[in-house]
Amino acid sequence: MTQTAPAGIAADTMLRIDGVHKWLGNLHVLRGVDIQVRTGEIVCILGPSGSGKSTLLRCINHLDPVDGGVIEVNGERIGHELHGGQLFEQSERRVAKARQHIGMVFQHFNLFGHMTALDNVTYGPTRILGRPRKEAVAHARQLLAKVGLADKDASYPSQLSGGQQQRVAIARALAMEPRLMMFDEPTSALDPELVGEVLQTMRRVAEEGMTMVVVTHEVGFAREVADRVVFMDQGRVLEDGPAREVLDNPQHERTAAFLRRVH
Amino acid sequence: MSELNTSSSPAVTGPAHYVRRPGDEPPVQEAPIHAKRRPQYGQIVTGIVAIALLALFVQSQAQNPNMEWGVTWDYMFNPVVLQGVGVTIQLALFAMLISIALAFVIALMIQSNNKVASVIGRGYVWFFRGVPMLVQVLLWFNLAVLFPTILGQDTNTLISGFTAGLIALSLAESGYMAEIIRGGIISVPAGQTDAGVSIGLTRNQALARIVLPQSIRVIIPPTGNQFIGMLKATSLVSVIGGSDLLTRVQLIYGQNFKILPLLIVAVLWYLILVTVAGIGQHFLERRFNASQPGSRKPRKRTPGGRAAATTTTTTGGAQ
Repeated sequence: MTQTAPAGIAADTMLRIDGVHKWLGNLHVLRGVDIQVRTGEIVCILGPSGSGKSTLLRCINHLDPVDGGVIEVNGERIGHELHGGQLFEQSERRVAKARQHIGMVFQHFNLFGHMTALDNVTYGPTRILGRPRKEAVAHARQLLAKVGLADKDASYPSQLSGGQQQRVAIARALAMEPRLMMFDEPTSALDPELVGEVLQTMRRVAEEGMTMVVVTHEVGFAREVADRVVFMDQGRVLEDGPAREVLDNPQHERTAAFLRRVH
Repeated sequence: MSELNTSSSPAVTGPAHYVRRPGDEPPVQEAPIHAKRRPQYGQIVTGIVAIALLALFVQSQAQNPNMEWGVTWDYMFNPVVLQGVGVTIQLALFAMLISIALAFVIALMIQSNNKVASVIGRGYVWFFRGVPMLVQVLLWFNLAVLFPTILGQDTNTLISGFTAGLIALSLAESGYMAEIIRGGIISVPAGQTDAGVSIGLTRNQALARIVLPQSIRVIIPPTGNQFIGMLKATSLVSVIGGSDLLTRVQLIYGQNFKILPLLIVAVLWYLILVTVAGIGQHFLERRFNASQPGSRKPRKRTPGGRAAATTTTTTGGAQ
């Protein structure tokens, strides 16, 4: 049904989240979430903690499986496939293949601790995509330079500051040349003075036309960089619209209250 | 007391509990502190008691005619005993290597998504960790009762005391090692798996390539302990004539009835082996801690921690 792009789905839709439900134990974390992101669009997801933002991101690349609804990235359904009218969970290999095209940046960086910054960035291209090492290293050096860490290639994660680690993590995700980049509260674990450098790096990624879904509390960043802002609360999308409209003229009292608190 | 105010170093001349009153000069300490240590009376008393007891023991045993230190000394480097030491070392080394290899497989099975493999792994640990090592040694030695021939060969000629002992020790140890390795795997944060999976590894690939390498640092220290335990556990093989150190010592005192002196030979050799292994463990741990990314740079400059400290203080003083 994705081939023909039926009514209501734009032809250049990169991410389609349709009626997604998710339970964690007895907790109904996502209660019918609908979001669409077009290619090149930058969408920031805001909302109080516990509203299901991070779970939604984890569902998009099937780190957590959804319990209802459909998630499609670039027209490809994530996590499940139909066989003769019966829905099956995809094989580990199929899911892994799909994840190659979805970059993810974590709140706690999660750089591979036993590898240097350069090896962190080249690991995916060489060991998963099978690129020649020389080519991967050259590309990795470009990416490290882009995130402002050209001189830190030989450093281990424990020798880097939080901000530097997060920038290496962004380079690691970009090295896979993803179609979609997801950021899960990328600056929440950082000391305040390190937040700026990471946001600056994300701005650069955005300027290059990357499709981005960013879960964040940085309203300033959302206002400046995002095309659209989605406000989530208690597992539902409360508002979804152009960034300035949602931020400056929220329709819901909960959105307004949240924005007053984080400002 | 009033002269304290004018004194340049009130901390030195003042009373034991100096409380600065309003208006007093605050104490100044410019020279490096060479404070005198308080005498450790408890430690001195313990030392005296310990030395007295040790002296009493040595004096009584040195004159005990049944100890026969001369016999102990004669047999210490006896070729038969030395061969036994060699067999003990071989047994411990091989059993440890085999058990580690097995344990990696078992630990990965337990941790894998494959439920059947996981249950099999848990069953394996339950059995081989549960049955006493001595019983396992006897079981493997008496395998011929169950299987008189293996692959057309006579079981008893195929499985000597050494082989049976090696198999038993390896399997029993692998139960413990599997749990140690599993502990190491669990100690690596879940975010590492998430990150590996998010760039396109499968869960099992992330476990083997991202999590396992980072668990080694946690696995090494308890493995050293297990090896020292294994050196001692090899003595169990003596019940099936495994030709190890204890077997040979028993063989000798079975002929000349110098039981205690020869047991002392075994005691001394086991202590020597364990001490060497302990030193090895120390260096292994230091190496693996040093290869921990954070401390890699300092390690390359100065091999010893103490040397590093002195160089930093001297450069600090020169500046």
